[in-house]
Amino acid sequence: MIQLTINGKQIEAPEGATVLAAAKKAGINIPTLCAQKELTPFGGCRLCIVEVQGFRVPIAACTLPVSNGMVVNTETETLKKSRKFILSMLFSERNHFCPFCQVSGGDCDLQNAAYHEEMTYWPMQPGWNNYPVDSSHPYFILDNNRCILCRRCVRACGELVGNFTLAVAERGASSLIVADTNVPLGESTCIKCGTCVQSCPTGALIDRTSAYQGHEKAMTQVKTVCVGCSVGCGLNLIVHDNRIVRIEGDWDGVVNHGLLCELGRYTPMQNTRDRITTPLMRKNGKLEPVSWDEALGAVADKLKPLAGKEHAGLAAIASSRLPVEALAMFKELFADGFKSGMVTSTEDGMPTAVLNKVAEKHGAFEGKLDVLRNADTVLCIGANIAKTHMVAGFLVKRALPKGMHLIQVSPEAGPLDEFADVTLKNKPGSDLALINGLQAIIVKEGLGRTPLAIPDAEAVIVEALQATGLAAEALAQAARMLAHAVSPVILFGKGITAQRDVALVEALISLATLTGAVDSERVGLLSLKGEANSVAAALFGLDEPFALHGQAAIYVALGDDFASKRLLQNLEKAPYLVVQASYISALTEKADIVLPVAIWSEQAGHYISLDGRVQKAEQAIHAPEGVRANADVLAEVAMRMNMPVKQDWQAAVHARKSSVVLSTH
Amino acid sequence: MKFTRSMVLVSNDPESMRRGAAEIYQSFHDELAAADLSEEVALSQIADSGRTDILPMVIIYPEASVYGPVKPEDVKRIVEEHLYKGRVVQDLLAPVRELTGRVSWLKARKGTQPMEKRIVLRRAGRIDPENIEEYITEDGYQALAKAIGQTRMEVIAELEKSGLQGRGGAGFPTGTKWRFVAGTKSAKKYVICNADESEPGTFKDRVILEGDPHSLLEAMTIAAYAVGADEGYFYVRGEYQLAQQRLKKAITQAREYGLLGKNILGSGFSFEVHVHSGAGAYVCGEETALLESIEGKRGEPRSRPPYPTTHGLWGKPTLINNVETLANVPAIIQNGAEWYRAIGTPSSPGTKVYTILGNVNFTGLIEVPMGITLREVIGIYGRGLKAGSNFKLAQTGGSSGSIIPPSLQDTPMDFESFKKAGVSLGSGALLICDERTCVVDLALTLMKFFRFESCGKCTPCRVGTERAVRILTSISEGQAQLSDLDTLLKLADEMELASNCGLGQTAAVPIRDTLKNFRAEVEAHIRLGVCPVGVCAMVPEAELELMVSSQ
Repeated sequence: MIQLTINGKQIEAPEGATVLAAAKKAGINIPTLCAQKELTPFGGCRLCIVEVQGFRVPIAACTLPVSNGMVVNTETETLKKSRKFILSMLFSERNHFCPFCQVSGGDCDLQNAAYHEEMTYWPMQPGWNNYPVDSSHPYFILDNNRCILCRRCVRACGELVGNFTLAVAERGASSLIVADTNVPLGESTCIKCGTCVQSCPTGALIDRTSAYQGHEKAMTQVKTVCVGCSVGCGLNLIVHDNRIVRIEGDWDGVVNHGLLCELGRYTPMQNTRDRITTPLMRKNGKLEPVSWDEALGAVADKLKPLAGKEHAGLAAIASSRLPVEALAMFKELFADGFKSGMVTSTEDGMPTAVLNKVAEKHGAFEGKLDVLRNADTVLCIGANIAKTHMVAGFLVKRALPKGMHLIQVSPEAGPLDEFADVTLKNKPGSDLALINGLQAIIVKEGLGRTPLAIPDAEAVIVEALQATGLAAEALAQAARMLAHAVSPVILFGKGITAQRDVALVEALISLATLTGAVDSERVGLLSLKGEANSVAAALFGLDEPFALHGQAAIYVALGDDFASKRLLQNLEKAPYLVVQASYISALTEKADIVLPVAIWSEQAGHYISLDGRVQKAEQAIHAPEGVRANADVLAEVAMRMNMPVKQDWQAAVHARKSSVVLSTH
Repeated sequence: MKFTRSMVLVSNDPESMRRGAAEIYQSFHDELAAADLSEEVALSQIADSGRTDILPMVIIYPEASVYGPVKPEDVKRIVEEHLYKGRVVQDLLAPVRELTGRVSWLKARKGTQPMEKRIVLRRAGRIDPENIEEYITEDGYQALAKAIGQTRMEVIAELEKSGLQGRGGAGFPTGTKWRFVAGTKSAKKYVICNADESEPGTFKDRVILEGDPHSLLEAMTIAAYAVGADEGYFYVRGEYQLAQQRLKKAITQAREYGLLGKNILGSGFSFEVHVHSGAGAYVCGEETALLESIEGKRGEPRSRPPYPTTHGLWGKPTLINNVETLANVPAIIQNGAEWYRAIGTPSSPGTKVYTILGNVNFTGLIEVPMGITLREVIGIYGRGLKAGSNFKLAQTGGSSGSIIPPSLQDTPMDFESFKKAGVSLGSGALLICDERTCVVDLALTLMKFFRFESCGKCTPCRVGTERAVRILTSISEGQAQLSDLDTLLKLADEMELASNCGLGQTAAVPIRDTLKNFRAEVEAHIRLGVCPVGVCAMVPEAELELMVSSQ
């Protein structure tokens, strides 16, 4: 620990900490604009300048590392004067006459800084140029007139997301934030994650849906979990009048540390599907509104006789986007109570079934997503991480400029291909041969970390090359890169798991052990799974391929999910269909009974992320009148059939061996 | 090496080339062939010697006769008379510059070279910069051999003893900097030669780079050995294409001779060096912006501390020295610290290269001992002010230098004396202005330069330069109020106090110096609405255009 004095106060800080961070920890607030703790220090705004004994001029606290015996003053008269002057420079530089915007009223860092310095006017005459506003982007607006050039957006785009779309054009007073080589944002390489908007301290980047909606301080904030995919990002919902005004990434989120992708931040705000607000029942060939009592009574009457009839009775399928509570009840009711022969989830166990089979033999063998933070080489196989699990993709992408190697293995092209050191496009179905080939090369060249016996390595390599159709040099390059890595990570996706081949996953475990991706210290092997509750659905055994064998009725717990084409095809000839859903869709049009349920933000519940984090999603807004939570509807159905469910999901998730270690953090 | 009885050197710096040096070189080639002298007389090229008035220049050894400016039609005569008959062509010789007694400690030198004390420029213009053998003949690479025979700490101690200070402008003790880097533990270290010479009016580094690239390569190798680095960069201003070519050639040659690369001179020490071209930003001459630029990022200064000596290129300890600083190193190692300390003043040993510009009779490059006065520079080397004019001020070191008023004409020009007087030596340019120069116009010109070159990273510099230009413009247009001068000084204060790098901190200097030394003249613009020198238009630009168009 380093000992230093700030404003006469003796404080202690870890080596490498900045004076700004050390002061903050000691309760001393130093005003800043360009500093953001998730970003590397910049030292641009100069608001945080402090006096340090022995230095000729004041130094920016955000970039200054602490050192022993350092004597710092943050509130001298000279500094206060300087700070005010710098603020006045900023206010006069561009148009900051902001009557109202997304961030005004407590969330504008520039405005807050002025309040902090008790500024009631700025002494410099304003004298700005007018810059055109870029409103070409579907989700947000770039207004350089409000910009203070702190570069938080530029750094967020590059450092946090690894996309490097935003940059500064020109220099000096003419500096402008631009996309790519100064093209409209909407036509740029922007991947619409919105991290820049969330980082902007003023109104230079504002969100289309939440701008001019009211003072931020009048709104409530709800911390919850994203259900867009299996990554499990922490969300901070800005709620007003029972309406989500904006979705932000939770900077304190254990998985995402503030990051979100388009799917998490903007897609839910763009929802145009029509809501179902009352139970519907088919009468004379037409769906008509009925009471909950009538609808539930009809469901019970229809389903009760089907209990215990296995394939002749009922088939049930649930969305793996539902909370654990609902999934647990669904499984207990239909699989345990009803003894139905076909109880599964909408993903058919494609991303998970094989993992659980392997876990039965090997126990938990997958690691945590955090392992990517220190990875120096990533092998990504059978996954399009930048598309399907974007935030996990950011962790890979942003490490590439820092020298991380990427080996991309997939028969299909993906956005990360051009950044990969090695891209292996093997023939479909040759993954096992490819993995064996990699192992054989590593063993043959004596590069393995752990002993592995391959009797005729040469033959395995020849076979691998034949099966994959790859060039010998490319395969060898990938093998060597992986073997030479200090902290490699192997990521695999649906391309692997959907093959349902235990041997294939075991080969990956073997490769991970051979290359040191998995050892006693760390577990650098992870599959991406699919939807928000893929892991939970698998733990409840909801992982069979969905198929109908003459069942008399089908119960679909769709929630707010979309019905896939495959599901619709499967249900083409359903004799009787009960759908519990939030929105009107082709599926509900087919249904005999529709039970309206809450969407993700209207119900509390738990989600298990791809790496086994059990996280609670909070209810942020109330569901419309007459709409019930998914779990409540299932409980009601169970009760009406005299098959009450225990509702103990915590115990239920441990009934089966998991491929990931379940944790609450 | 082939032996010849005579040697013809034709200058080929950009200015000479512009004035037809290529044609002259070709004429020599043809005329020597015609006279059947090709085997006896070597023909080669040299860089600028610092005398722009005699370009294109031809030097013939062993007589060391300097011809210039040479015209193509002179070539035949020089070949016939000088090289064939052995008679120096007196009327084509370059004019001699003599010293006139005031600086009697300067010894006259052979031939017609200007009388200076040359250390860093001693080979520039005298040897073929593209021929390593000529460099070796002139004691080249002996300092490297000597350094490698010593321990790293002995080399650094020698440099510290010499008292060499950074010639980039700040005057930081070079030996101390080397010791910092040497003392930082790291498996990887870098040495960088800052050759991004971009100060307006400064071209001393170019002459060294073009005229004696091997001396820099040798100095870099010594530096790398001393601080424990194995990789280096020459960061060369983008416009200096010839310098870059010559450095690259020097690197190739040194590698062939085992003076660079693996196991240098069989010592086990290895060093690789790259040439990195700048891309036209003034601020990249600031050492941390230079590092960002090499790393492929936008050229903007980092915040310091941490300093490059501990967190430099790619976060590794890095030694960054200016061209002129490095060019002193081989001579110091070879001749010893005592020899070096005998030159210059006790607090600032050694020589300083100046580029003289402005309203004087001679403009060009000189290398003189530290401690010479401005009056001597103007009188002896500048050959006086242009007829009918009086000295008003000098501006040192390009834009970040100081304004030297007449009262400091006799202050010795060394780091200590100038610091005491509250001015700086800057990068070594001396812009001599007579009384026809308006200080408002000068300050505005300098301020516009800073505004244009400010990177925009930090608020005080970005907004401050813009605001200062606006106020100075309004003064020059007769639109300002006296209170604007207070705002100007306030801007200067904040820029100096809160800016991130040297550019922002020194951008305020012209304002402060102008108001300190010439306040009455500035106030005349405001109070009386006239420019005493008659330079400023004293009407707003828009009105001026109207007046011009209506005439």
